Amino acid sequence: MAKQLATSEIGKRRFRWKERWLLLIPGIFLLLEMFQLPLAQYYKNNIDTSRQQSVLSLLPTVHDLIPIIGFLAAVVVVHIVLTIFFPKSDQMLFPIVALMSGLGVLLALRNGPDTFPSDPNLGMKQLLWVSIGLGVFLITLFALRSMGWLRRYKYTWAVLGLILVGITLGNALRVKNLDSPTHDQLNFGPFALQPSEFLKIIIVVFFAAYLSENQDVIADGGFRLGPISLPPMRQLGPLLLMLGIALVLFLGVRELGLALLIYGIFLSMLYLGSNKVTYVIGGLVVFFLLGFIGYSLFSYVRARFAAVGLDMVNWQNWTTGSGTNTTVYFAQNTGLQIAQGLVAISSGGILGTGFGLGHASALVPVAQSDMVVSVLGEEFGLAGLFALIGFYLILLYRGFRIAIEARGTFNQLLAGGLTSIFGIQTLIICAGNLKLIPLTGIPLPFLSYGGSSVIANFIIIGILLRISHNTAMEKEGLA
Amino acid sequence: MTLDVFLLILRLLGIVLLYLFLMQVIISITRDLRKTSVANEGALSQLPPVVGHLIVVDSGPSKIAPGTSFSLNPQTTIGRGPTNTIQISETFVSAEHTRLWFRNGVWYVQDAGSTNGTFLNNQPARDALQARVGDIIQVGFIRFKLAQ
Repeated sequence: MAKQLATSEIGKRRFRWKERWLLLIPGIFLLLEMFQLPLAQYYKNNIDTSRQQSVLSLLPTVHDLIPIIGFLAAVVVVHIVLTIFFPKSDQMLFPIVALMSGLGVLLALRNGPDTFPSDPNLGMKQLLWVSIGLGVFLITLFALRSMGWLRRYKYTWAVLGLILVGITLGNALRVKNLDSPTHDQLNFGPFALQPSEFLKIIIVVFFAAYLSENQDVIADGGFRLGPISLPPMRQLGPLLLMLGIALVLFLGVRELGLALLIYGIFLSMLYLGSNKVTYVIGGLVVFFLLGFIGYSLFSYVRARFAAVGLDMVNWQNWTTGSGTNTTVYFAQNTGLQIAQGLVAISSGGILGTGFGLGHASALVPVAQSDMVVSVLGEEFGLAGLFALIGFYLILLYRGFRIAIEARGTFNQLLAGGLTSIFGIQTLIICAGNLKLIPLTGIPLPFLSYGGSSVIANFIIIGILLRISHNTAMEKEGLA
Repeated sequence: MTLDVFLLILRLLGIVLLYLFLMQVIISITRDLRKTSVANEGALSQLPPVVGHLIVVDSGPSKIAPGTSFSLNPQTTIGRGPTNTIQISETFVSAEHTRLWFRNGVWYVQDAGSTNGTFLNNQPARDALQARVGDIIQVGFIRFKLAQ
């Protein structure tokens, strides 16, 4: 009896029933929202007459659902490939990622026509990026047969990443338009690539490889100053050098969000590798010191902080400049974004206005990428935002679980570091949108519009699934 | 049915579906956790069995005395890092140096990406090699004999 049970259990896992079962509701949800979108658009365009109109004459046809049907078909193909080739990899990550990237496509479809400048093809472009991302996800799974070569060539990766980003940033400095939101992109014909999205993966690989080799030395601590043990500087040297170069590059072109992200990754990986809270506290002290220096030296940092200090209730009295140059503060870029975003979120209430029925995508600047939280907050309400935060938390939970179960320090640090990218990025952009910290332009994983970001996120998920697959194979003695 | 009523129904349905999915995921997580906690209790009550030994033949430049014996589990890792089954604190041993595992009555040895290499009877073990009792396994500059 017991043996029978065990074999049926294995059979269940081999065919990934859990994943198939979990993919069901996201599929229904995405179809439902896609179905709602044309109705909502009609409703908004004919607000006077449509309210009492019968719904039967307006029902969308299958033709209108094509983008999401295409997306779901791609998801099913990936699921089948996973079932055949990677039956033992984690089954909970992919359904959540499918829901979120599908919602990302829907948001781009919905935001495209409304944003300024309007881009009716935004949704189809995002669908293309997500399809490429799913392909890259499978390529990552197949290519990483063993993690060995990722670890062995760590300095090569590091140099490659820094060169790529250096070229882009040099390009940006040459153009000398640091206020343009696309100043950190590399253009290849019609495609614009953002190398910094890939640099964060490379940095995690480098940190994981370096820390796993020097773990014992770094965890032991170097020389002591009373009760505080300082980390051994000789072993930390390459890490600090890498960190320093990345930070200088990003601060040089005013990418505060990415600098914050990279520093956050550094601290979490140092903690994961050394298990010492004192390093993290020391790192945070250094961070606040650097932040204070930056605040007093650079005017653009001060401008970002000024937006956090906005007193929303007292909005009539926001002014800047003096004499004839006086303008209302929220008529300016950052202040306007934050203020409009907060108004949108609060007007969504608890249940939201309904998908496609809000005004955030037309009224909040850059609603399709940086301010996507405000669109979600308006159209899905507090309930929807909480559900999404829940999905991100589960994503983090699964990632750290894969890290805990992985064999070998390098795999553990790699999975932990990649997972913390998602955590820190979501935290920075959500808190920025809610006016808790200065707003910085980094994408919300899977939901913001953007090709490089989607592809980079799929690479991360691919590495995580591969690690979980390797762990399960080793546990059963098959590798 | 009028359009605004229909849209209201769609909106509520969307939120309900989101939370249904969240619930479904959390249920499968709790089930998973319960299963692994049962498995862990089973694993904790019995220590991994000792299926062999490594005896130091030539300690090279290290301070380990020749003749020292290390016990081997079915899955054994050797290296400088604190997570290894056999930890050797010598600079010429990499953090994760060698992997040994025992399957179907046969020992396998493989280098785990070390700097100074792993050798089985003087042959580099970059890929997994089969080892027999009495074979010489060299980890960095330390030579062991595989014993029962």
